Amino acid sequence: MSEILHVENLNFSWGENHVLKDACFSIGSNQIVAILGINGAGKSTLLKCINKILNPSSGEIYLTGNDVKNYNLAQLATKVSYVPQSVMTSFSMDVFDVVLLGRRPHLTWRISDKDRDLVSETLRYLGLEDFAFRRFDQLSGGERQRVIIAKAIAQDPSLILMDEPTSDLDLKNQIEVMKRMKEIVSDKDQSRSALIAIHDINIAARYADRILLLHEGKIIADGTPSDVLTEQNIAQVFGVTSSVIEKTKYKPLRVIIEDAIEN
Amino acid sequence: MDTISEKHIQNSKSQIMMILILCVVTLLFAIFAMGWGSSSNLDLFTTMKILFGMESADELQSAIIWKLRFPRILMAIVGGAALATAGALMQGCLGNPLVSPLTLGVASGAALGAAFAIVLGFSIVASSDLAIVANAFLFSLIVVAIIIQLGNLRSITAESYILVGIAITFITGAIVSTMQYFATDAQLSQLAHWSFGSLSRPTLENALLVFFAVTGLMPLALKYAWDLNALSLGGDDFAISTGVDPASMRKQILILSALMTSVVIAFTGLIGFLGLAAPHMSRLIVGNDYRKLIPCSCVFGALLMLFADTVGRTLFAPVVIPVGIMLSVIGGPFFMYLLLKEKGVGH
Repeated sequence: MSEILHVENLNFSWGENHVLKDACFSIGSNQIVAILGINGAGKSTLLKCINKILNPSSGEIYLTGNDVKNYNLAQLATKVSYVPQSVMTSFSMDVFDVVLLGRRPHLTWRISDKDRDLVSETLRYLGLEDFAFRRFDQLSGGERQRVIIAKAIAQDPSLILMDEPTSDLDLKNQIEVMKRMKEIVSDKDQSRSALIAIHDINIAARYADRILLLHEGKIIADGTPSDVLTEQNIAQVFGVTSSVIEKTKYKPLRVIIEDAIEN
Repeated sequence: MDTISEKHIQNSKSQIMMILILCVVTLLFAIFAMGWGSSSNLDLFTTMKILFGMESADELQSAIIWKLRFPRILMAIVGGAALATAGALMQGCLGNPLVSPLTLGVASGAALGAAFAIVLGFSIVASSDLAIVANAFLFSLIVVAIIIQLGNLRSITAESYILVGIAITFITGAIVSTMQYFATDAQLSQLAHWSFGSLSRPTLENALLVFFAVTGLMPLALKYAWDLNALSLGGDDFAISTGVDPASMRKQILILSALMTSVVIAFTGLIGFLGLAAPHMSRLIVGNDYRKLIPCSCVFGALLMLFADTVGRTLFAPVVIPVGIMLSVIGGPFFMYLLLKEKGVGH
C-alpha cells in the first residue's frame, strides 16, 4: 500500500496558543481517515496546514513522498483538494462553473470537452444534475455543501481533505455523501484517500477505515474505529459517558451517548 | 458529449454573442456620435458621407471630426473600457461589490496632484499644458507605490486594502480642502472643473497615449480571470484550495487596476460612477464568470461612457455637461432600475 500522506512532528500556534502539538501520522492509499475531537481541538487547523492555507510552526508534511514545501499552490491543488466547513460567496456563479473551478489547477485558460464532461459526470454522480445551471447562492446550505464536494472530486486529487462535510446535510444526504466518498476512495484503480474532520462519531465509525482522535492539539489515539472509539477515550476527549456497541457482521460499531460528565 | 456539457457550451456561446452584440452597438454608436454635435456645418448625414469616403471634407469639417470629436470619442471608449475593467478587477479581488477604481485612493492622489499644480503652481514638468496631467499621474502613482508596499506585508487582507484606501482618501481630501480654502476664485473654479471629470481636455495625442497604455494592460486582466473566479466565489481559503495564491494575486491585480485608473483620470479628471456600476451591469448580462465579465465590462464601460458623453455634449448644446456628471445622472437611475429588476422588487 503506497503512502499518500505522511505528517511528522507537526506544530502550529496562534501566538501563545499551541493548537497542534507534534502531530504524527500517515495515510496509505484507498483509505478514509476521520479526525475526531471537540471544537478547538485542532481538526480544521491540521487540514489547513496540509493544504498550505496555514503555515505550520514546525514539522514536515510529505505528499506521495514529496515535501509539500516543494510544491507551489497550483501544483499542490493538482494533488490535494479541500472542502471547507462553509463557503461564503461574494459573487455567485452557476453550479456547473463552481464545480469547474475544481479543474482550474489542471487548466491553462481554455476548457476542454474532457474537463466539461468530467464536471457533468461528477454532478450526476452526486445527484446534482438538476442544479447544474442554478446559482450557487440560491441553494440551501446542504446543497451548497454537496456542490463543494463535487468541486473537490472534480479536482481529481490524491488526497481529499474535508472539514465537517456532513454538518449541513440532512440524514439521507449524510449517508449518500459518505457512501460516495467510500466508493471514490475504495476504487483500487486510483491511489486516493480522504482525511475528514467530523463531529458525528457514528458516521466516522461506519465509514472510516481509521480514526485519529485529537485532544488538546495532540493525537491521543490512532487506529481502527474499534480500537479508538472506546468508552474511556470518548469520556476523556468529549467529556461524556457512552456505551459502545461492538461491530457485528451486519452492523457497524455504534456509540450511544448517555450523559455529560460533571467536572 | 454529455447533455449538461452541451448546455454549458450553449450558455457560453450565448454570453459571447451578447458581448459581440455590445461591441457592434458600441462601434455603431461611435460612428453615430462622430456625426452628432452642435456644429451647423456638419450634420449626421454629411459626417457619414465623409467617414465612408463618399464626400470630401472641407478644412473646418475635417478639424471638427478629427481634432475635436474623434479624440473625444476615442477617449470615451478607451477610458470607459479601462475604468469598468479596473472596477470589475477590484471588486473581484477584494470580494466586495461596493468597491470601485477610486476606492484605493488612486483618484484622491490624482486630485491632490492636480491641486498642487492648480493652486500652488507646483509641477513636475515645465510645460503648463501638461502640468495638471503630469501631477495627477505622479501623485496617483505614489498611491500605487503605497499599495505595492502594503502588498508586501504578509498579513494584509482585502479589508485592510479598503481601509487604507479610505484613509488615503481622507488624508488627501483634507490637504486638497486646505488648498481650496486658500485658493483664489479662478483656481477654485479650475479645480472644481477638473474634479467633474470631462472628455473635453484630452487631445488626439493624449487619447492615443491612453489607448496604447490601456491596450497594453488589458490582456493582463484576462490572465487573472480563473483566479478571480475562485477568489470572488469563495474567499481566500477556497482560492488556495484551487491553487491560487490570494495575497500575491490581489497585489498584482490592484497594481494593474490602479495603473489603468491612473492613466485615464490623469487626463479626464474624476470619473467615479462608471467603475462601480458598469461591472455590476455587466454581471446582469454575462454573470460572474470573469472570463466573460472582463470583456463584457470593458465593452459595456466603453458604451456607457460614450453614450453619457454624447448626450452630455449635445443635450444642451453648445453647453457641454461633463461626462462625470452625465454618467451619474443617466447611469444612476438605470443602475438602480436594473438592480431592482434583478432582485425582483415589487413582485
